[in-house]
Amino acid sequence: MSKYLEKLRNCRLAIKQNGGIIGAYLQLFRTDELKYGNHIGTDKYGNKYYENKSYFVARSRWIDYAPKYGYDFDGSQVPADWHRWLHYMTDDPPTKVKPCPDREWMTDHEENLSGTTGQYVPYSTVTPKIHSWNPPKNN
Amino acid sequence: MPLKLYGLARNVNISDKDPDMDWKSITDRAATRMFFKELFKGYGITGSYLFREPATINYPFEKGPLSPRFRGEHALRRYPSGEERCIACKLCEAICPAQAITIEAETREDGSRRTTRYDIDMTKCIFCGFCQEACPVDAIVEGPNFEYSTETHEELLYNKEKLLQNGDKWEAEIAGNLKADYLYR
Repeated sequence: MSKYLEKLRNCRLAIKQNGGIIGAYLQLFRTDELKYGNHIGTDKYGNKYYENKSYFVARSRWIDYAPKYGYDFDGSQVPADWHRWLHYMTDDPPTKVKPCPDREWMTDHEENLSGTTGQYVPYSTVTPKIHSWNPPKNN
Repeated sequence: MPLKLYGLARNVNISDKDPDMDWKSITDRAATRMFFKELFKGYGITGSYLFREPATINYPFEKGPLSPRFRGEHALRRYPSGEERCIACKLCEAICPAQAITIEAETREDGSRRTTRYDIDMTKCIFCGFCQEACPVDAIVEGPNFEYSTETHEELLYNKEKLLQNGDKWEAEIAGNLKADYLYR
């Protein structure tokens, strides 16, 4: 009996954390999943990271993509420092242990832009060594 | 009746027992069949899976565990000063079994040797990790990113700028992974 009561309790906590009945419905619509856990941190792009160790590994950490992404969330929107934690390479979130000190040449994270106008287009980084022949002009 | 393994070998009937043929057993069987008991038991199993924890992960919200040594998308790293590490020794180009790397080098204005072209054909690459093992200055690394699928082939022909950009984007994680793993390399 207690195990069914626990399911009810989990359900109630998940609904409470996701903002009541309406919020939980919207969250379920967006993520197909209702979970509750500790809010570990928020990155500078607005993504929120949660952890609940009572789920098994690979389900115990998850990301709630920033509202600005709407339904256009993508796996490549996880920035590097949180990517490390989210993929279980470390147990310390970057809010606790920074993986490496900030350098001024580090750039902002960018999602995979393939298929958009911002996509990478390859180009040569050297000047061509072979030039077309200009025929001498005989006049 | 327990099967005795000593003494003479003999034949034992291991098939299902014949159904009882007294009236109570017959009516019980008939009732089970008439009220579709098995069907409802099946629905019960199906319903129970609604409330069980699924064995799958909900990508992209949840992601699977990766090793710090994971060999994903390539990146060219920089020194903390911002100077690029690659010295164009071409060891990675030499060891690459798929011959995916193309390097051209020149002397820069300040006299240091640097690459002018560093191209990796990601569609040739077999992600063996030999390039990062060969690199004497930890310049070329295979980073932790695997979400770089593209819609066209040409987007996977990385040049030096793209690789350096990858390095700037992923340095936090690459440095952390190298630090986590330095005792084993």
